[in-house]
Amino acid sequence: MSQNLVESGAEVSSDRRREREKLVEIRNLKTYYGESGLFGGRPVKAVDGVSFDIFNGETLGLVGESGCGKTTLGRTLLQLEDATGGEVRYDGTDITELSGDELYQWRRNAQMVFQDPDSSLNDRMTVGEIVREPLDVYEWGTPQECREHVKELLDIVGLRPEHYYRYPHQFSGGQRQRIGIARTLALEPDFMVLDEPVSALDVSVQAEIINLLEDLQEEFGLTYLFIAHDLSVVQHICDRVAVMYLGNIMEIGPTDELFNNPANPYTHSLLSAIPKPDPTATADRITLHGTPPNPRYPPNGCPFNTRCPARIRPPEYEQLDDEIWMGINTLRDVLLERQRADRSLRERIRERLGRQTRFASVDETYDDLFGHLNIPQDAASVLDEIVDYAADNDEDQALAVLTEEFGSVCEKESPEYSTVSETGRQSFCHRHSEEHARPSEVLDERY
Amino acid sequence: MSNTESEQSMTDTAVRTDGGTETKQSLRQRVLSNPEPAAIWLAGLALLVAVELGRFVDWALTIGGGIKFILDGIVATPTWVGSNFEGTLGFVAGAVASDITSLLLLFIVAVFLRAYLPFHPDEKLGLDLSRSRHLWFERGFVTAVLAAVVSVLVFTPIGAALKNEVGFYVGILDSLADTQTLLSRETIPNHGYQTASGSWEGTFLGLSARSAWLVRFTMVWVYAAVVMSWLWRGYNVYREHYRRMDWTPRDDVIDRLRSHNWGRFGLVVVIGFIVLALFAPVIATYPIQENVYEPYSQDSEFKYFNEEAGEVQTALHGDANINSRSQGAGSQNVGINQYDDYGRYAPLGTTTSGEDLMTHIAYGAQTSLSIGLIALFLALGIAMLLSLASAYYGGIIDLMAIIGTDTIISIPIFVLVLMMSVVFQQGDVWIAEPMDGGLLLALIFAFAYMPGMWRSIRGPSLQVAEEEWVDAAKSYGQTPLAIMRKHMAPYVMSYLIIYGSLLVGGMIIVTSALSFLGYGVSEPTPEWGRLIASGRNAVSTQSWHVSTVSGAMIAIVVTGFNALGDGIRDAIDPQAEANAGGSGGGA
Ligand code: SF4
Repeated sequence: MSQNLVESGAEVSSDRRREREKLVEIRNLKTYYGESGLFGGRPVKAVDGVSFDIFNGETLGLVGESGCGKTTLGRTLLQLEDATGGEVRYDGTDITELSGDELYQWRRNAQMVFQDPDSSLNDRMTVGEIVREPLDVYEWGTPQECREHVKELLDIVGLRPEHYYRYPHQFSGGQRQRIGIARTLALEPDFMVLDEPVSALDVSVQAEIINLLEDLQEEFGLTYLFIAHDLSVVQHICDRVAVMYLGNIMEIGPTDELFNNPANPYTHSLLSAIPKPDPTATADRITLHGTPPNPRYPPNGCPFNTRCPARIRPPEYEQLDDEIWMGINTLRDVLLERQRADRSLRERIRERLGRQTRFASVDETYDDLFGHLNIPQDAASVLDEIVDYAADNDEDQALAVLTEEFGSVCEKESPEYSTVSETGRQSFCHRHSEEHARPSEVLDERY
Repeated sequence: MSNTESEQSMTDTAVRTDGGTETKQSLRQRVLSNPEPAAIWLAGLALLVAVELGRFVDWALTIGGGIKFILDGIVATPTWVGSNFEGTLGFVAGAVASDITSLLLLFIVAVFLRAYLPFHPDEKLGLDLSRSRHLWFERGFVTAVLAAVVSVLVFTPIGAALKNEVGFYVGILDSLADTQTLLSRETIPNHGYQTASGSWEGTFLGLSARSAWLVRFTMVWVYAAVVMSWLWRGYNVYREHYRRMDWTPRDDVIDRLRSHNWGRFGLVVVIGFIVLALFAPVIATYPIQENVYEPYSQDSEFKYFNEEAGEVQTALHGDANINSRSQGAGSQNVGINQYDDYGRYAPLGTTTSGEDLMTHIAYGAQTSLSIGLIALFLALGIAMLLSLASAYYGGIIDLMAIIGTDTIISIPIFVLVLMMSVVFQQGDVWIAEPMDGGLLLALIFAFAYMPGMWRSIRGPSLQVAEEEWVDAAKSYGQTPLAIMRKHMAPYVMSYLIIYGSLLVGGMIIVTSALSFLGYGVSEPTPEWGRLIASGRNAVSTQSWHVSTVSGAMIAIVVTGFNALGDGIRDAIDPQAEANAGGSGGGA
């Protein structure tokens, strides 16, 4: 089913999508951790304002590096986490507002398949008890009917009725995942969040579970949110894909289009990390430097700006060497790190280490980063200025100068979503506006 | 999708496949379809119970008495609350307050009983209620039914009639409890006298007092061993013939415990300790009533052969005790395995006041066991509730629990227990009466040990609260209580059992230490620590046995409990479980 939809071409699919009703509408959803903590402090912005729709009967992939907030997003959609802000409209009801009985009534509509089949099944209960529990919670039928129904469910997911009285310990990972799937099916939900359902399984079993999920979707008309980091699985099973980075959706659109012709720089980098089966593909691998920023301290402007290979550079420095840019990025990370570490401990650390130590450390960093490079005069003088400020422990000023001189709209403003194709694919990047070159062009040029 | 064979190879070879045909039957049906093993086992069990029927009934009555004690306390609360209100606000307020308290109590009962309602009253009435309304409606319904039943019992003669009825049955049970059992003083008497000719009068088969007592003593242990092995056999019969599961995770735990020598030693010691406590009336050389509690009552008279006079005379235990004291250097002594001047055999000698040491040791085990069990269950229950709630809800509840328990923990346990015992015993509160302070001590222990216990299981509770199956249960709307009970408690429980068995050892030591210092359990209830205290001046003399035997008992029992705790810990060690997980199906 998923194949047909994509193969039928962009226009048809877009029409069909317009006809299809939205099952879940997510608007400016935010999930922050640790905000209500007793000691205050900055919250971890796991999901930082995302908006998208999930259509009835589709499989929407949600990809991104680990820690990007995709699991939190999935859990928030099921109200396993409390949303900090925004709306999740399910069939028109904002479920973030539900509580008590209403939430209980709603819960049977949406279920979750968990990543780790070892942890998602209580191994002191028999398979039958596990699959039956949701039925008991909703006081579904007589005990006899429940047992029969559970056995049907076991049959549906490819297990056998006599497995009812066995314990999860007695099953392999793939079978345990089938048990978990049977449990989610028990309440006949419409919407399922699949949180990396196969990533903990042997490769040989993965395909079976994927096929099972596809068959179930067809049979019961399920809608999936498929969270994954394995892009090849996503490409296989998903109708549309959302790419997530640091709590934001960077790009969302039909799978084939997104894979073949990515719009957002982050999607580019992510895709170039998978080996291309097509030897004629010319694109070089884009290597991302560094690690994603701490979601407690997301950067200003575009969330990807600390690592973006296509970051917009100020025109006067357009010709700077890539290595120098890398150095500048790293320097910025270091300064940000110091700025944070300082706040409370700053004075004490200074006393401990003495100013000399700190002074030397900025200098050393500078040498490490730029010592072997040939820096043009104008850039060098700015860098000197920055290092001077930093040596004076004035990171704020150093960063201000750095952003002022080397920064661009990427650091200053949060991008808008731009529609980048006729299918309504959207990308979260400044480079889609008129005055900038498209990401793909820039990337071709730079790599 | 249908091709699952590759995955199933692992389990299918290892697991019997006939489970599928029987799965629809209840346990009853399964027993009926293959009655032989169950019948054999039940017949054996019936025989074992029959020979000791009186004792089993007696135990049941004791437990019933304990429950009645608690129930009486609860039933008294409405009146108590009412009279408090009445004192300040007048009669009407008092009556209202006591009615409200009664209703509240009934409501608490109703919350637990609701799940067993055979039908849904709101559906019968055609009401369409949401889940929480439905719950409250049913609870209210059960409360109303209970209130109606209670009023009928209280305000009509039916209540009195029922009371008579119950009294009648309890009376029958009482007389049953008095029937002679195989292992009893009456069947195997050991207290007689030796005539001038050297033959014994009044003992079992005319054996010497020593042999007669040994026969009874041995029989107790043989009987206990047979019962234990029969129970084990019963478990195996069930496991083999009637259990629906071919394998459960608990099987592995039991197997591991069985192959754990240190743990097995602990288990044997602990079972021995329990048997000693349960069979104290049989194991004791003389009835404790006569020898210890009321040695000067007319019932405590016995016959003995006075060698000087050359004839059989009578004496009171009390008088005999005075002449049989083990007080060390230079004075009298009745040591281990000796007779006193009155022809009374003392397997472990006598105490410093001339009472029989074996009697004291056996009943002392009863004291320790009761204190340990009451304290343990209270502490376990509270710790469990606290840890589950704080792990599940986290945040402020967790913090409050930490602060509260830390306050108690910061006081050394012995000092805390000592302070509380002194305060309560000086205050002479009614709760210090049962068991001569034993019950009070149990309550103090529960209070003092609970925080430590809660802190030790906080880690595991937090860990299990993080498991995905807890999330899964939340995602299909399971109630917090049910999540804690089904998905968290079983895991925390294993840790509680480990800490519990370690704690019982600690409690026995602290009880003894307190009694040693003169607090804790006072005269005349037998207690090991007090024995040590009384005999400590004579340790280096011929009367060394008083302190040494009781000290050794404490050491052995405490070691046993620790060993059992170690064994259980190793058996349910999550690490071992994780390693064995892959091969679990083969077990
Ligand atoms: S907005 Fe700038 S930093 Fe962000 S993805 Fe686009 S080009 Fe890169």
